[in-house]
Amino acid sequence: MSLSSEVRQMARAWRWTRRPLPPKSAEPHHTFPEPREFPTEWARSKPARVAREAILRGGLTPLVNRETAIEIDGLDIFDDLDGPVIIVANHTSHLDTALLLTTLPTKWQRRVTVGAAADYFFDAWWRAIGSALVFATFPIERHGQGLSDTPAKLLEDGWSIVMFPEGTRSPDGWTRRFRPGASALAKAHGVPIVPVGISGSYAAMPRGRNWPKPGRPPIQVRYGRPIRPLEDENTLALNGRVADAIGALLDEAKTDWYTAQRRAAAGETPPSSGPAVASWRRVWESSAGPELTADRPKAWR
Amino acid sequence: MSRPGFVLTVDERTPPLLMHSGESFKLQQFPLGTRVVYPPESLPGLPDLDEAIEHALLQPLDSEPLPALLRAGMKLTIAFDDLSLPLPPMKKPDIRQRILEHVLQHAADAGVDDVELIVATALHRRMTAAEIKAVVGERVFRSFWPDLLYNFDAEDRANLAHLGTTDTGEDVEISKRAAESDLLVYVNVNLVAMDGGWKSTAIGLASYNSLRHHHNAHTMIHSRSFMDPRHSELHSSAWRMGRLINEHVKVFQIETTLNNDAFPSQYGFLTKREWEWSLKDQALFIGAKHGLDILPAKQRRKIFQSMEAPYAVTGVNAGAVEPVHHATLEKVHQQQLVEVNGQTDVLVMGLPYLCPYNVNSVMNPILAACLGLGYLFNMYRGKPLVREGGVLIIDHPVPWEFSTLHHPSYVDFFDEVLAESTDPKVIGPKFEQQYATDPWYTHLYRTSHAYHGVHPFYMWYWCAHALDHLGQVIWVGGDRRAVARMGMRTASTFADALELARDTVGSSPTITYQHAPPHILSDVR
Repeated sequence: MSLSSEVRQMARAWRWTRRPLPPKSAEPHHTFPEPREFPTEWARSKPARVAREAILRGGLTPLVNRETAIEIDGLDIFDDLDGPVIIVANHTSHLDTALLLTTLPTKWQRRVTVGAAADYFFDAWWRAIGSALVFATFPIERHGQGLSDTPAKLLEDGWSIVMFPEGTRSPDGWTRRFRPGASALAKAHGVPIVPVGISGSYAAMPRGRNWPKPGRPPIQVRYGRPIRPLEDENTLALNGRVADAIGALLDEAKTDWYTAQRRAAAGETPPSSGPAVASWRRVWESSAGPELTADRPKAWR
Repeated sequence: MSRPGFVLTVDERTPPLLMHSGESFKLQQFPLGTRVVYPPESLPGLPDLDEAIEHALLQPLDSEPLPALLRAGMKLTIAFDDLSLPLPPMKKPDIRQRILEHVLQHAADAGVDDVELIVATALHRRMTAAEIKAVVGERVFRSFWPDLLYNFDAEDRANLAHLGTTDTGEDVEISKRAAESDLLVYVNVNLVAMDGGWKSTAIGLASYNSLRHHHNAHTMIHSRSFMDPRHSELHSSAWRMGRLINEHVKVFQIETTLNNDAFPSQYGFLTKREWEWSLKDQALFIGAKHGLDILPAKQRRKIFQSMEAPYAVTGVNAGAVEPVHHATLEKVHQQQLVEVNGQTDVLVMGLPYLCPYNVNSVMNPILAACLGLGYLFNMYRGKPLVREGGVLIIDHPVPWEFSTLHHPSYVDFFDEVLAESTDPKVIGPKFEQQYATDPWYTHLYRTSHAYHGVHPFYMWYWCAHALDHLGQVIWVGGDRRAVARMGMRTASTFADALELARDTVGSSPTITYQHAPPHILSDVR
């Protein structure tokens, strides 16, 4: 076998990550490495922040705008906020993190970090370094373990945190169960949660794609009013309020603000987890994408 | 904590698996469902080897302590295994050196003047001075070489002693010096379960007259396997002979066991499970494989033959032969035994560059056959890994290449004997005597570094059980002429070999890959 074909064979057959994937029958005989948190402090240092701002402004934002047609709504809520917040959004695409980071106001963009799955984003050193530098990610263990001390320390240091409480990208574009980690963190530290509804990112770049579909698919990013934990409210109740708020924001993308508000007040917001129909129909509907409310320039239609 | 061996079932997640192929190695993709027998990981070595050796000598099994057996004026002979053990040769200091130094220190303390050291070569080639020095170390070599430290000569009639015959009429003829000593100390390296016990003295120090009784096709077919002494006719014969030797000379046996660290760290990927290969292991594999493949054959062989194994010693036992060997086998099994459920239709193996008889030499086709059909096929307990009438697929280039220095009689055996018949039961009676008594081969054995004239017969007898048991043997990448001479078939690729195997085992056979080396002893249930 030639050198090049052997290298290709190896690239196909091995995971170049920190976690090997043993064959099924070898699992009982495999010693999985002890999970250890990938160090990300460096990604919040001054030089890294400067580099990130340059990358976001000079590279990522123009790129996202070139590849997708984004409509942003609700940024004014940040005018009344001071201090760290937890930004919580539904999650259907790898685009979501880039969408949030590129649409945040500059002041917030500079002091935000993103909780990312340790077993995916911090599995391979090159992916860990890349995501920590560009998106200011820190690792979150999503299998069986509670949150590490890192998010708490970040909030104490004045950093806002982006979290996707579903834990992973939706397989069909509809929301999954919201895990209460973000709400527990907000409750423990008394910080508000900013709900965000992202519509269209599934249609633009679902699982399995690593680049948005051609033709500038439309995407809506709606920031909702901050939700503050109440004193006598437990974590699950707070988590429920957050899920409802995101459901209303997603409903707004399909209707309009007023209709969504009325439905929410009447408790008639359609479930963001989607209709109980055949899975293909769920995917079919999600992959249609939202209609933008603003007219697109005719010349580019 | 070393993990035990296990049987992998190839699935979609299984990367291509490492396979030895002579002086190279490759990655081989196996069909889904193939079973792969992996050896246990290396056991930890003894924390203090000197202390362990002293403990074994001073508190031996079923024997007085060594110092109590030594006295001034006595005749002491120390025999030790030759360069066929361990494989690859051990990184210095060799365990034999460590033990010899301890034994000799006790002998010096007791005032023993008459000490001789014999390399137990039997009919193997004489080791060179440099090879002996590498095994015994500078101090021992300087003190005893060449008059008191020498290779055993099985053709030196004046220095052989016929001790009698066993109950079954087997001649026992061994080194006269050893037989007439007040104490015979044997220092062994027990790499596999076949080694050690009475085989050390009854075979290592024996002449052709003695060896012919068990080194024959009949014995080998009835040794199932010769890696399981309880079911090995070879070992039964050696034990009968050993007990006769024991009536004439006190034998103090020192046996050692090694772990599975068979390759130096730069070849660490050879002993790691493939899905656990790091990026570094993958790079080392690519670099080593392609670097070696582009080298001229001579340079490549030099690199392989200079490889030294960083073996750690896992056990040292001394005392009476049989209890010592019992303790040794336990350690060997702990390191090598893997339970396997059921036999297979097709057994696959990749042969490495080295077998016991080509250290610093060439692995000719007969040695390749002996390594695959003899040694690796017999690495089982219970039943062979492959069913009767099954197929053995071996990956090795089988070059038509012989060392005329080390294996002169092999050349004629290959041209003359195998051309007439490949049946061990046929060639033995017809040709063995002629080769065993040929004066030229005997001269080369005694004065040069040639294996004895009869040795290629023994190699072929070693294959007798496999040849008797298997339906077909297919060599992947083998030299067609050489393989055809041995009565077997070749295939260009593993896939082609499976195609050829269909004639014997049908279109959907069960396949098992024996992922060795390091050594695996399959306990087939």
